[in-house]
Amino acid sequence: MNKLAFLAAALCATVARAQTPAPPAAPPRMTIDYVELADDARYEPLRAFARYILLDRDHPFAGATLGVNDAKPLSRVLKADHQLERVTVKTPEEMADAIVKANDAGVNFFIVDAPAEAFRAIAAAVKGRDLLLFNVSAPEDWLRRDLCSPEIVHTMPSRAQLMDGLNQFLVSKKWRNILVFRGPKPEDNETAEAYERSAKKFGARIVATQDFTPGTDPREREKNNPALLSAINADWDVTFVADIDYDFVREVSYHTVRPRPVVGASDLVPAAWHWTWDHNGAPQVNTRFSKLANGRHMDSPDFAAWMAVKLITQSALRTNGGDFKARRAFILGPGSFDGDKGEAMSIRPWDHQMRQGILLGSPYSVVAEAPIEGFLHQKDVLDTLGDDEPETTCHLNR
Amino acid sequence: MPVAVARSTIPLANIAAACLVAACLAAAPARAKDTGLIFVSNEKTNNIIILDPKTLKIVKDLKVSRRPRDMHFNADHTKLYVACGDDDVIDVVDVAKLEVVGKIATGASPETFALDEARDRLYVSNEEASSVSVIDIKEGITIHEVPTGAEPEGVYVDATGKNVYATSEVGDLVHLIDPEAGAVVNDVVVGTRPRRFAATPDGKKLWVTTEMSGEVWIIDRDSFTADGKIEFLPPGMRKVDVTPVGITMTKDGKTAIVTLGHAGFIAFVDVATRAVQNYVLVGKRAWGVTLSKDEKTAYVANGLGDDITIVDTASRKALQSVAVGRIPWGVVIDE
Repeated sequence: MNKLAFLAAALCATVARAQTPAPPAAPPRMTIDYVELADDARYEPLRAFARYILLDRDHPFAGATLGVNDAKPLSRVLKADHQLERVTVKTPEEMADAIVKANDAGVNFFIVDAPAEAFRAIAAAVKGRDLLLFNVSAPEDWLRRDLCSPEIVHTMPSRAQLMDGLNQFLVSKKWRNILVFRGPKPEDNETAEAYERSAKKFGARIVATQDFTPGTDPREREKNNPALLSAINADWDVTFVADIDYDFVREVSYHTVRPRPVVGASDLVPAAWHWTWDHNGAPQVNTRFSKLANGRHMDSPDFAAWMAVKLITQSALRTNGGDFKARRAFILGPGSFDGDKGEAMSIRPWDHQMRQGILLGSPYSVVAEAPIEGFLHQKDVLDTLGDDEPETTCHLNR
Repeated sequence: MPVAVARSTIPLANIAAACLVAACLAAAPARAKDTGLIFVSNEKTNNIIILDPKTLKIVKDLKVSRRPRDMHFNADHTKLYVACGDDDVIDVVDVAKLEVVGKIATGASPETFALDEARDRLYVSNEEASSVSVIDIKEGITIHEVPTGAEPEGVYVDATGKNVYATSEVGDLVHLIDPEAGAVVNDVVVGTRPRRFAATPDGKKLWVTTEMSGEVWIIDRDSFTADGKIEFLPPGMRKVDVTPVGITMTKDGKTAIVTLGHAGFIAFVDVATRAVQNYVLVGKRAWGVTLSKDEKTAYVANGLGDDITIVDTASRKALQSVAVGRIPWGVVIDE
């Protein structure tokens, strides 16, 4: 073939390619933005003294990815694929900007992996927009009660849900007398308050609340020695420890003056998920997650992110690929979602908190799942956990 | 194009098993003995409890591979196949000897399967692998590993052997699989967490239990579309407790029996009108259900009660419950 003929052939080929209909293109993509803060201190590994790593933690991006993977077979039916776009920013303000910009570009669903404080700026920036933000890692009650934003859905359980789950279990055991150890961080105070409020609701009694200061300073021994802190003029059944740093709490078991189990920050921890949960299809979820996350165990924020994606993909499926308003109505409606914890889950219309069971996890097993048998509700037994409609200050449905 | 995938695990055991099965077949006449023995698979104790049909006493506690779940006899009841989830095998039990005589490798965590003896095919849902294995029983090889939605469970193969159906619990889908091509060719969206199938005897409708939405969905096989659903609510129960899983149908196609999981009831459904006729209280987390050959008795495995409940289908009353192993999954009867 001479040069000219070759050129002509090449040209023909090009023309031919331009004229034939495009090969079956990849299905259109529906984007879910995953927005996170760089250097989020909540995901630094938990360390013991002398650099031992007790627990590797990570952003729940793997949980969201699992949700998208699980939805892949749906693309044949939806004629569309869901994809995650990971957006990492430095400050809450940047986060709000990024969400607004993406929303302008047509993204309606956002997994927001941010500490509670960040939601103030975000909620103000997105007010009235066609979007839903899924809070997957902040348990703070004030986010639900006070910020009370119609654009936010909480798939992460609230502190109130977690504490109610714990108290249902303790009260069902008739362990009603509680000694509270409260740490110095604002979160510790919030946790202790949430615990106290829940104890009142379920008829447990706080025998004493002791503030601790982590350390070994002998002048502070009244505050840093669990034996002295627990040497109170009364007996108690269980020690509840509020310690967001997971530092002091490790010294509480076996160091109180009486042999009493520890709950709260360690030993028996209320959570959205646990890596040993083996009912309701959970073993398969845990296996799929660990494979995806290089062996890391699935944690509560991973579960919340996984569920958020499930709500989003289900809303496309169940509305036959409907528009945003239809999908929003489906997510916030009475529909039931499967979250591998038994009872079907749904979103509370008053504060957009996802109803869900709470797992009471010890290091190597799930001791119980709340709602504990016997705690009943006139409408939905999952509403025995967290802020029920008459209790809340947030009324998005009114 | 079928691709023969040689079994990678336990080849020696398989060869040995194949020989054993062959020897066994040669020695014993391949005839059903209709012993009436009741076989119950137990997920947590890794055994099959075999009960005498009259006395309901345990005749044999048969150790099998780990986490036995679904069970099917071959046509002449000489062999019982048992899917064992934690060892990724289907155990082959010699029914005359009540011994495990072979193992067939599957994908990760086999849960349920369908048997097409005429074509020497086994279709196995692999819960952890999110696939359905198409296995040639004679050759003992996996012909296809068909990717499905996550957590496939129920498998059904029609009389022609050309259409295989599988549920994906996570995908809320029923897949139609072309077993020759080894691929999913179509999907139907059903309720939340679809589990298991029962087909009407005319083969026209496929009933599917959907655990989390508490329903049975009915699929029209010709059009491959959803053709209605049935909801359940036993008296005094809440909707959230109703988690249908097991399902079976009488040979005349008139009555279906559906187990309602955590509600602890089974439902009798009139197939023609799709109306629930009776709810019968059985045990904790009622799952597998099997009818006796004369269809006078239904046996229900109560997963969280460690027992089975025997139900009289004429009076629609539970007669008695019998303790078996831990986490009983299903029941089959040699008759």
